[in-house]
Amino acid sequence: MNRLNHLPTLKVDTTDKIAFIYKGKKYYGAKGDTVASALFANGVRIFGRSLKYHRPRGLYSLDGECSNTCMEVDGIPNVRCENTLLKQGMVIKEQNVKGSAENDMMGFLDKMDWAMPAGFYYNVMHKPAMIWPLAMKQIRKAAGLGKISPDYEMPGKFDEVFLNTDVCVIGGGPAGMMAALCAAEKGLRVILMESRPWLGGFFEYRSGVYKDRQTLHDRALHLANEVKAQDNIRLFTHTSAVGTYNNNLITGFQIGKKEDVFDERYIEIRANSVVVAAGCIERPLIFDNNERPGVMQIGCALRMAKTYGQLPGKRCVFSIGHDLGLEAAIELHDLGLSIACIADIREDGQDTVLLKKIADKKIPLLKGWVATKAHGRKIVKKVSISSIDGQISKTFSCDLIVASAGMTPVTGHITVALGTLKYDNHTGFFLPDQMPEKMYAAGRIFGLNDPISIEASGMLAGLKAAHDCERGSTGSLGEIREAEKVMTGLPGPVRGTKLVTAPVKGRKSFICFDEDATIKNIKQAIEKGFDVPELIKRFTATGLGPGQGGIPGHNLPLYVARYQGLPDVSIRPTNVRPPLVPTLISTYAGVNHKMFKTTPMDEMQKKDGGVFRNIGVWQRARYFSDDFSCKKEIENVRNNVGMLDGSTLGKFRLHGPDAVKALERVFVSDMSKLKQGRIKYSAMCNDDGCVIDDGVVVKQGENDYYFTTSTGRAGQTVEWIRYHTRYDGWNFAMVNLTDSLGVINLSGPNARKVLEKIVDIDLSNEAFGFSEYKEFMIADTIPIRAMRLGFVGELSYELHVPASFMKSVWIMLKEAGKEFKIQNFGVEAQNVLRMEKCHIILGQESEQRTNLLDVGLGFLWDRNKAEAKTVGSVALRQAEGDKTRFKLVGFKTENNSRAPRDGALIVDDKVRGYVCTARDSFSLNEAVGMALVEAELSQIGTRLEIYEDECGDDRIYGKVVAMPFYDPEGKRMKM
Amino acid sequence: MALTITCPICGKRNGYEFKFGGEEKGPRPDEKDLTPTAWCEYVHMNKCVAGVQEEWWFHKDGCGSWFKIHRDTTTNLEMEVPKVKHPAAKIGGGKSDEQA
Amino acid sequence: MFLKNKPMWGKKTKLKSSYDVVIIGGGLHSLATAYYLAKEHGVTDIAIIEKNYIGFGGAGRNTAIVRANQRTQHNVPLYKEALDLWPVLTKELDYNLMFNNCGNLNLMHSEAAMKAARMTIATAQFHGVESHLIDAKEAKELVPALNISEDITFPIHGAMFHPPGGVVRHDAVVWGLAKGAAKKGVEIHQQTEALDIGTKNGRISSVTTSRGVINTNQVLISAGGYSAALIYDMMGIKLPISVLTIQAMVTQPLKPVLDHVVSSGAYHCYANQTLKGEIATGAHMDPWPNYTTLNTAHYIKHQAEALSEFLPCLRGVRFMRIWGGLADMTPDMAPIMDGNEQIEGFFMDCGWGYFGFKSCSAVGKYMAQFMATDQCPDMLKPFALKRYEEHKLMGETAALVNYSPDN
Repeated sequence: MNRLNHLPTLKVDTTDKIAFIYKGKKYYGAKGDTVASALFANGVRIFGRSLKYHRPRGLYSLDGECSNTCMEVDGIPNVRCENTLLKQGMVIKEQNVKGSAENDMMGFLDKMDWAMPAGFYYNVMHKPAMIWPLAMKQIRKAAGLGKISPDYEMPGKFDEVFLNTDVCVIGGGPAGMMAALCAAEKGLRVILMESRPWLGGFFEYRSGVYKDRQTLHDRALHLANEVKAQDNIRLFTHTSAVGTYNNNLITGFQIGKKEDVFDERYIEIRANSVVVAAGCIERPLIFDNNERPGVMQIGCALRMAKTYGQLPGKRCVFSIGHDLGLEAAIELHDLGLSIACIADIREDGQDTVLLKKIADKKIPLLKGWVATKAHGRKIVKKVSISSIDGQISKTFSCDLIVASAGMTPVTGHITVALGTLKYDNHTGFFLPDQMPEKMYAAGRIFGLNDPISIEASGMLAGLKAAHDCERGSTGSLGEIREAEKVMTGLPGPVRGTKLVTAPVKGRKSFICFDEDATIKNIKQAIEKGFDVPELIKRFTATGLGPGQGGIPGHNLPLYVARYQGLPDVSIRPTNVRPPLVPTLISTYAGVNHKMFKTTPMDEMQKKDGGVFRNIGVWQRARYFSDDFSCKKEIENVRNNVGMLDGSTLGKFRLHGPDAVKALERVFVSDMSKLKQGRIKYSAMCNDDGCVIDDGVVVKQGENDYYFTTSTGRAGQTVEWIRYHTRYDGWNFAMVNLTDSLGVINLSGPNARKVLEKIVDIDLSNEAFGFSEYKEFMIADTIPIRAMRLGFVGELSYELHVPASFMKSVWIMLKEAGKEFKIQNFGVEAQNVLRMEKCHIILGQESEQRTNLLDVGLGFLWDRNKAEAKTVGSVALRQAEGDKTRFKLVGFKTENNSRAPRDGALIVDDKVRGYVCTARDSFSLNEAVGMALVEAELSQIGTRLEIYEDECGDDRIYGKVVAMPFYDPEGKRMKM
Repeated sequence: MALTITCPICGKRNGYEFKFGGEEKGPRPDEKDLTPTAWCEYVHMNKCVAGVQEEWWFHKDGCGSWFKIHRDTTTNLEMEVPKVKHPAAKIGGGKSDEQA
Repeated sequence: MFLKNKPMWGKKTKLKSSYDVVIIGGGLHSLATAYYLAKEHGVTDIAIIEKNYIGFGGAGRNTAIVRANQRTQHNVPLYKEALDLWPVLTKELDYNLMFNNCGNLNLMHSEAAMKAARMTIATAQFHGVESHLIDAKEAKELVPALNISEDITFPIHGAMFHPPGGVVRHDAVVWGLAKGAAKKGVEIHQQTEALDIGTKNGRISSVTTSRGVINTNQVLISAGGYSAALIYDMMGIKLPISVLTIQAMVTQPLKPVLDHVVSSGAYHCYANQTLKGEIATGAHMDPWPNYTTLNTAHYIKHQAEALSEFLPCLRGVRFMRIWGGLADMTPDMAPIMDGNEQIEGFFMDCGWGYFGFKSCSAVGKYMAQFMATDQCPDMLKPFALKRYEEHKLMGETAALVNYSPDN
């Protein structure tokens, strides 16, 4: 195709050819082409087929406001070809066709519309019930537009950026640029977002006069240059603002240029104030076959010529309701398009200069006329027009119908940020009513059409936005008043057309292209009782397609109001929801961080064969071999010595004059009795008395305590203690030492022998006994806090080591332990070891509803400290006598049967409890476990019927036994 | 929605730095003679105000302090001073629902 | 199919000065209760009072997932009955509720999660509900789009597969129940706001609405996320509820790619493909109470990050629409159903969080029985408000609910 090569507005370079594949064949487009303009240049008129009726669809708005030109590009479905720049080697396919878009075997569905009234699917296919599953399969196949393969791997680079600015301007047209310049001149930081790859908006592609001899196009260039010259304007072109939120958070995404390091980039902007100058889209004109390929909006036809150098047709009829239509007719006429007729919906009110030009060029113009039907089976061949009362009609043969009822403001950015709109009879617009705080609208959104007015309104909004920023010389109210005065002297909003539908019955008049919803469907919905637009939307799916409601957005409420004869004041727009432009999931995901904490021993344990798992916010070594029963690890702790990285344990210092009071508030035990250098194991409850945490508390000095918490709770401990003391004004401080200290758990009968080799204090049982605490140095350098604890039931030292020395101590222990057969053990081995000792792990032997008494930790509770108002004590006291609660019990299986799986149920004819942890114990040579059961079943000797998943009629039986199972006297941990 | 919270120490920050801490209910009641109903009222029960409420927040990713603010639960905007103590429920059809 | 178009839930009528029963809220629980009151108990003199339009709240905003694999024996039978009722209701109402029993796949990302799943599965099986634990490979066979590699934040260990669950067309349930109730004489008054409830001698006596006062002896408040505020404002009863905005979103429509409902606790994310082809996905709740029903920038990004990992093919798909609704959460994630307790004739059905849709059919049936007989059915007894002061939380959630330090 020969392009119009010498237009100043052109954005394509026809000398630079770009090859692409379309339906398996190679074609060429020009540099600067979009996928759509390149296909059009190669003669493609039918781009795809519609969702329900498989009607042929083609170029319509050139801004991707409907699914007409959605295609599969490089494996990505539903790509809006009108907004996507052509790249070398792109592979482009049609969507939702059987055969091709040109010859779609499903095209017959278009004749079946009588069988598919609004919401028909609710009334069919369920009688008899057996047909529904079959019907559903067919529906699923027929529905959906694009295809994605389940193993599709998205190529490309994605980035994200989080910005802060004073003023954020949405829209890089004349109003937006003026607003940005205005705010920038005050010394403010400004971000300007424009969805097209270039600035200029409504001026950019037009050759009309701006002022004197300057064209609108030249003016756009001039403003763009000024914007680019401003250092404090950060410009994002090819960037769509997709979300606006109250408190002025703006999100968007940017398409990368060739030289950028990303293909798409997510942008999140926290702005002080916002200007919305997103302009207008065109209001679709509703008549029969109003979406047939060959029917286009004004901007589409004009920009095809002016931006992409292609005449959109040969012979054309215009059916318009806005001066832009007259202007486009003149321009396209001059470029060689033959215009059979212009039907203008308006009886009067047209721009006189334009009227004169049309008369001079002898273009036939009919005022008060409108297109009623596009003819042509696949593409436009003819058009019928009639007077708006439908009395007289004419038919023209043509291959192009430029159809547009007028303008529709782009108000999504305002309404999703909670601004409100009000219907205005003069413009026919939903105009901004209550704007969100510090957000201002500018430009054509108000119905302005005069270039000077548009710019002035941008300037005014820029001044207001600047004034909201408390930085630099951000202008005065006087300046704003001055700018307002200027506005009143300029041409105001233009009168808009009320009519959106031609005088037709509407069986094939589409109000929503994406969902194939016709005027007739809307009437059917209203008759069925769906009387508000929002319900009609749901019932007919109008506006719920990939076009994000661009086509039916404002037409639907206007049509419904007219059909129901409602007064203007009651007309409300339907909801718009983000993203305002469909946005790739990969773009939203951006960099996609994986965030976990690792302990100082991470690397070394991995080297030793640790199998790691995510446990809460941490990554921990769960196993040290492929044998997930951990037999070797367990036996080595029981017989020799093992070491475990316990660095994830929560570690805190709490000190100050009111330290004891604070501890007493959250721990159930009486902390005032704790002696210096001693350890107390205790627990924290929530207000329901349920155990939320356990750990040890050490008194390090007067009013100075060191305590541990479980791994999972460490992140909330400070918050918890501060919360429960927030009214008291107590004087204490807390330091979270979790990350600065590592923990090594050295356990096993040989533990003392190993430790003795690297420390020079007396470690004998007399000098450092069970449940005692010591501080000492290793090699005069490494300060250690050591505790004698017995979580796994063996002689055991818990060494708290500065994180930076962890590696050294670990290596020293490993070396020293060689002769005593020291081995790593992981979290699962510890889990079994402690289970044999019946030491509980919260979350495993407890759940949300189990309290301190239920899990057998009642001995920790000091009930004689009511004045401490200990969290949970009231509930414990009230629940104490309740016989219907769960109790934690130990059990052994009968007849040497294997241990039931964790989570198995204890049942009779009802569920009576469940197994918390159970294992075939290597230490005991039998299967043991702990279970939470109803108190009735908690007596020693009670037989438990255990129901496992997938057990069918088989049961495992167990018997309640005394706890602990291993070393009941606790000799081994005290040795 | 993009909640911001003003911390008395750190100033106005992104709401996701904070953790919500419940409706303001006053200090812990005395334990003596506290009935189960009164206990439950303090621990579990909420007014669920659709409007401005006084509430606790914790600056989790910041200074670590607990403090109170007033916030309109229908807009998620912080309020300096409550204008009405407990306004009649204006929910389900207020401004936010029609436009959101 | 070719019936004349007539209003599905009756013409707009005048509000009468008295009704046997007034139901506040025009959502699924209200409509279902009214339907069953009329159908099974002959109580037809009912007014449903709805401030906006029917299905305005959670009924029209949820992602329509149904299942019966809850954790405790109090809940499973209720949800099982609800699940069994979808085909029955489709027939009774002569309205296609489009039940797609495609099965739910709940992903497990750790050994601990697998253990938790075992208990839930055993509970389901014990109650005759089909549910199985499957490994990662089997999960991948069911959902070929799943990423079962180790190289993601939360590697997939396996899944709880619940074949009888699936998706029901939520709007259809609203309209179908409204149609069914209206046909039996129930009056649905939209754009009518309940303002106050009157009592006399310790009994409900009236409801004041924006269109006048109604005399009645029985009131049910089942207004979804708005229930707690309404009950406090009109009755002065405080509830253990936090009302949060919960969000969901859909992608552009696609040809079939996801045949089951997939959900993941670790990723805070579920996804299923609607009959229209969109991938509906969501799960995030704002971590602070609010009635905004607004979506957040924070969440749509989070959701994209999650889907990118475990359903990576969706990286090539676009989000189209995000919205919010309300979830009224209780500390034990189980609802509150009560009646004739605080005051004679006053019933409440709330605290459903994000479980209101799945349960509506069965709950309507039992609430209707409760109201018609003044006897609480056994099925509903465990859900009384009293459980909170008796320290008997339901155990529907194993982990502590983490939206307020109170819990």
